[in-house]
Amino acid sequence: MIINVDSPILEIHDLTVSYDQSPVLWNVDLSLPSGKLIGILGPNGAGKSTLIKAIMGLIPTSGGYVKLFDRELNDVRSRISYVPQRESVDWNFPASVLDVVMMGTYGKLGLFKRPGKKEKKIAMDCLEKVGMQSFVDRQISELSGGQQQRVFIARALAQEADLYLMDEPFAGVDMATETAIFQLLKEMTAAGKTVIVVHHDIHSAMNYFDWIIMLNLHLVASGPKKDVVTEELLRKTYGGKLNLLTKVTDIIRQKDFNPLKN
Amino acid sequence: MSDFVYFFTFQDASIAFVVIGITLLGIGSAYVGTYSFLDKKALLGDAISHAVLPGICLGFMLAGEKNPLYIVTGAFLSGALATFLTSWLKSKTQLSDDAIIASILSIFFGFGVVLLTVIQKSGNPEMAGLNQFIFGNAIAILEEDLYIYGGLAVLIIITLTVFRKEFSMLVFNADFGKSIGYPMGTIRLIFNVLMILAVVIGIQAIGVVLMAALLITPGAAARFWTDRLGKLLLIAGAFSAVSGVIGTYISFVIPQMPTGPWVVVCLSMFALISFLFAPKKGVLARYIARRHYLKKTHQDHLLKLIYHGIESGKQNFPIEEIYQSFPYRKRETKHTIDELIKTDLLTINQGFIDFTSKGKSEAKRIVRLHRLWELYLNEYMNIAPDHVHDSAEKLEHILTPELEALLENRLNYPKLDPHQETIPRDNDEL
Repeated sequence: MIINVDSPILEIHDLTVSYDQSPVLWNVDLSLPSGKLIGILGPNGAGKSTLIKAIMGLIPTSGGYVKLFDRELNDVRSRISYVPQRESVDWNFPASVLDVVMMGTYGKLGLFKRPGKKEKKIAMDCLEKVGMQSFVDRQISELSGGQQQRVFIARALAQEADLYLMDEPFAGVDMATETAIFQLLKEMTAAGKTVIVVHHDIHSAMNYFDWIIMLNLHLVASGPKKDVVTEELLRKTYGGKLNLLTKVTDIIRQKDFNPLKN
Repeated sequence: MSDFVYFFTFQDASIAFVVIGITLLGIGSAYVGTYSFLDKKALLGDAISHAVLPGICLGFMLAGEKNPLYIVTGAFLSGALATFLTSWLKSKTQLSDDAIIASILSIFFGFGVVLLTVIQKSGNPEMAGLNQFIFGNAIAILEEDLYIYGGLAVLIIITLTVFRKEFSMLVFNADFGKSIGYPMGTIRLIFNVLMILAVVIGIQAIGVVLMAALLITPGAAARFWTDRLGKLLLIAGAFSAVSGVIGTYISFVIPQMPTGPWVVVCLSMFALISFLFAPKKGVLARYIARRHYLKKTHQDHLLKLIYHGIESGKQNFPIEEIYQSFPYRKRETKHTIDELIKTDLLTINQGFIDFTSKGKSEAKRIVRLHRLWELYLNEYMNIAPDHVHDSAEKLEHILTPELEALLENRLNYPKLDPHQETIPRDNDEL
């Protein structure tokens, strides 16, 4: 069940991604509507983060292409915000909360230039939106998991983008923070922004998202929640191993080269 | 003493030059090194510094003399080749980082030593100075060489300052930088170039073998003192510059004494002092914090002892009886009682101990936290009542008022703990 839309905000065409030898995403082909809160669901190792990284051009693809706002990524970067996984950075880095949030303004600021009063103001406003204004000068290693996640979201807000790609923003946060973040994401979509979220918890996903993408090495489903959340599709996504696909992956890994690379 | 005055008053212009040079190169390499330390790439600096030796030798062979331009270029190129090989091997093989770096380091260094031996056998009278590249000799650096080294050091410092936000992003979150369209590949390349340059300019003063220490130790030592990047760079630069100058001074006073080892000894002292005495993160500060905590727990236990006594109907508390409750700890207990009297939590009257009203409410607070936690473990974690005491015994000292409020709320202001003992509130009669 893959539902396509007219004038999509994001269009992925036959995207295949491999790490070293092994393919982790097979022929993902989908289009997404704008102004929606979109969830990417799937079991561990299904390639959810990989999909987001491939969209952002952070990892090389073996085939296919991605179009955002009907343009190439490089033409529209300033309209897109990427929130990496919280664990992907070293929180012991000597920086304050403000330093990190200010990074959100660097895209518009450009190289060489130092952030000034204007950037600081934007960062402060965004910290307030996530309820972290009292933590401005805090060293980032002293934050809890939920607070770190909020700092990352504040940084994304500071980018003032139209499309947000968030990798597991609900991972390692307490219930109160999860609700607060979700409220914020809903406000953002209400204001016309599009938010795509990698999410692991299927139960809360049912409440949170308008549109759901189900992934398990290949695209199982993409469409409005009411259309794609069926027992059959959920079983296809989560239930059992994809024996054949993993076997093919094993064969490819044993070869000395990757036949999927063009 | 006269040496000391002579050296540090800079009567000799050449000494002033050397001191300025070593200060600049110390700051420059500490600056680069701090970033690579934060980036957890400390070993790469070591590999590069060993890898420049063959370049130095080839530069010397080509020029036939100690021409700084040839030597710097040769050193730079062989450092660059080593850096390139490191990342190339990483992308093309399954070898781990440490294996790659160890091989590159020893292969290049070994080749360099071979070349050095060849040059020594050739009987070139100029070659005498080449040995200095192994352990460094700051005093022997010629004035015209210093211009090159100093100039490059200034270039490093300026580049790192101008690109500070870019390099911070490279270390903290390179993926994010890439996502906003920054050329992170180029920034990484520039950083590697600066790193090689820092090694190249330090080689003659500090030497191939020890250059890595000048890169990494200042940042590692400074990290104990601050959590801010700006201050970190300043402190690291200061450690490095001071060590550089002291090393140079020793080379000046004792002829033939290499500079590098003394700079490293000096840096190690700074690192050791930081490790032991830095506020908050130092060993001593942590030891004091622990002592303080243990003292606090003893006070808490003592207050609890009296509270439990009153609870079970005991009327008076002779001080001797309290001593006996803490066997073999009489001195400590006496000290604790003195403290509690001083802080107005206990009173003593003719050898009998009693609560003040402040002490009573503090004792209630500790007992309350203890019992709330026991109840929480029992109700929410399904731990049997006879298994909850030990955990509560530890947590009663550290639960904050916020957590207390949260526990009260969660447990709905309970009256009794799992052992059917009353959870005391401040207004309750004791």
